[in-house]
Amino acid sequence: MRSSAPAISRRRFLFGSAAVAAVLATPGCAYLTPSAQRVVTKPVEPKIDGDLVYFNWADYVDPTVFEGFQTEYGVKVIQSNFDSMESMQAKLAAGNRYDIIFPSAQWAQKLVAANQLHTIDLSTLQNAPLIFDHYPNFADPWYDERSAHTVPFSMYKTGIAWRKDKLGESLTGSWSDLWNEDAKGRTFVLDDRDEVLGMLALLLGHDMNTAGTEELEDIVDEFRGLRPYLRGFSSDDYNNLLAGDAWLHQTWSGDMAALLWQAPDPSIYGFEAPVEGTPINSDTYAIPVNAAHPGTALLFIDYMLRPENVEKNINYIGYPMPVHGTEDIYAEIVADYPQCTVSVEDLARGLYFTNESVPKTQARDAAYTEMKVGI
Amino acid sequence: MTTTLTPTPTESAAAQPRPARRERLWTWMLVPGTAWMSLFFVSALLLLIALSFGTTDALGNPRFGATLDNITGIFNPTYLRVIIRSLGYAVSASVICLLIAYPVAYAIARHGGRYKNALVAMLVVPFFANYLVRMYGWQTLLSDEGMLMTRLRDLGVSASFQILDTAGAVIGGLVYGYVVFMILPIYASLERMDGSLIEAGRDLYGSSLRTFLTVTVPASRAGAYAGLALVFLPAMGDFISAQLLGGPDNLMIGNLIQEKFFAGQNWPLGAALTMALMVLLLVCMFAYLRQTARDAKEATR
Repeated sequence: MRSSAPAISRRRFLFGSAAVAAVLATPGCAYLTPSAQRVVTKPVEPKIDGDLVYFNWADYVDPTVFEGFQTEYGVKVIQSNFDSMESMQAKLAAGNRYDIIFPSAQWAQKLVAANQLHTIDLSTLQNAPLIFDHYPNFADPWYDERSAHTVPFSMYKTGIAWRKDKLGESLTGSWSDLWNEDAKGRTFVLDDRDEVLGMLALLLGHDMNTAGTEELEDIVDEFRGLRPYLRGFSSDDYNNLLAGDAWLHQTWSGDMAALLWQAPDPSIYGFEAPVEGTPINSDTYAIPVNAAHPGTALLFIDYMLRPENVEKNINYIGYPMPVHGTEDIYAEIVADYPQCTVSVEDLARGLYFTNESVPKTQARDAAYTEMKVGI
Repeated sequence: MTTTLTPTPTESAAAQPRPARRERLWTWMLVPGTAWMSLFFVSALLLLIALSFGTTDALGNPRFGATLDNITGIFNPTYLRVIIRSLGYAVSASVICLLIAYPVAYAIARHGGRYKNALVAMLVVPFFANYLVRMYGWQTLLSDEGMLMTRLRDLGVSASFQILDTAGAVIGGLVYGYVVFMILPIYASLERMDGSLIEAGRDLYGSSLRTFLTVTVPASRAGAYAGLALVFLPAMGDFISAQLLGGPDNLMIGNLIQEKFFAGQNWPLGAALTMALMVLLLVCMFAYLRQTARDAKEATR
């Protein structure tokens, strides 16, 4: 008698739940579609077509620059932020619509290959010559043929920062400086697969983007020697230096300005760009294909490239930008760490992290996991 | 549950139509919860299981597939080692939590008097702040040139002594993060206990230790088991403590899973690792359920 009492039998309940779950799991179908062939879209026209939906790292643009844009063009800037390239990609893949995004060069290449970016006609940007006439590497960069979808935003390199008061006025200028007895237990490398593998590859004379089994083994072996010196893997470079936990730190040059601005005594820190080579990275402006207001976005890029705005932004975030006439502003900020600057020659060395095939990336990832866990 | 719901034959015969209607109402009350769980838990779980057989495309997006590479990938010694380490940390954290929480819960429940609720509230208030924020706080406090270490060094502690980036700091972070989940269930079980039982034990010439062991401990055992489960399960999957307070030798399995999903851009392997962790936790959960069932049986006897 009791068994007939419940309105929903166990079987019906389970069946119903499974059906509901199956319906709700349909967003998972997004993972079914294969990526398409390369297509060419019509260039964006520079005209105001609505408010600007802006998507970037937090605090990367001086707020007064936004205010200026809003007053001049009579539109609002709707801001949202990402905390990593991967989460930016996840938001885009989920179908969120942004007018302007700031992918790194490596991600710009992936997005171009996946037809995710609008075509930009550089002749529609009044300030484009400030970049392309003076930084020839960006005219046809490795990540985007003839800069057809992206405009360079900022650039930085990877080097070593150290505590001068603990380790001396200067180091030898090589990546091998990380093996420092005095800084044992106070040395950090960046928590970044490509940076750590790249640093060791440069030191060993391998290709920075290698995925070869022997070379990766070589790298893992070399790292075993460095591991006892390490206190950690961390991308929070300037905070580790500021807190005194790090005396020696693989560091992104762009973070040195933040260190300089926050340290009670900036003169105790140094930054060197090792002779074996320093990976160069750059961020770009790009307009996603599904942007609702691409015209406003293009005008925003042009507005951002005006030297007075570039100057404000450099002073705000402390990253150099490849815009002619603003080089001195950055050089002045990092006067104490001259090796932070990114020159045309640095760019010409072609040391950048490329996108590799899935098996190669996974081989590199496996090597990095092994290094991180340490066997 | 079923035993309490089943009406005795005479009762059900007397009031037949009404309970059936009422039971239907109770069943319908399950619907919102079921829908919620299906939406955010079951479907996500099914997706996770499906993805653990998948691959990734050039953009790092996961794709469904039918490969076993991810499952076999788990049995890499690197991961097994980290899983064992995580087990060690989670067990230590649970035991330390128990040792800290029991006296606190006991003191509040038995001797808190009219301040009982205020004391419990005081314990809970710090947990209004997000776990991540509190861990950043610890990172600042424990850093080499931070408040604590500067003091200690003034007191003559060696300059090479570090707290941050050690296993101790990671376990400490876990204990700090989850200890309240141990205090509350133990407090609840001790609070519910009839104080006169202890008096009875003393009246029967039991020493205070003996009374404690034979009366108080059994009465609070269910709370302690619940607390152990509530601390152990999240501690095992935690990655924030190891990331912010640990060094290169203190990574936990949560860190590796997090890395596969974010920087590693390998969701399928992350999904497979998550499944492995869930199976492991399920085994532990069964042990907990069996133990509590056994205790419940003993209690009714």
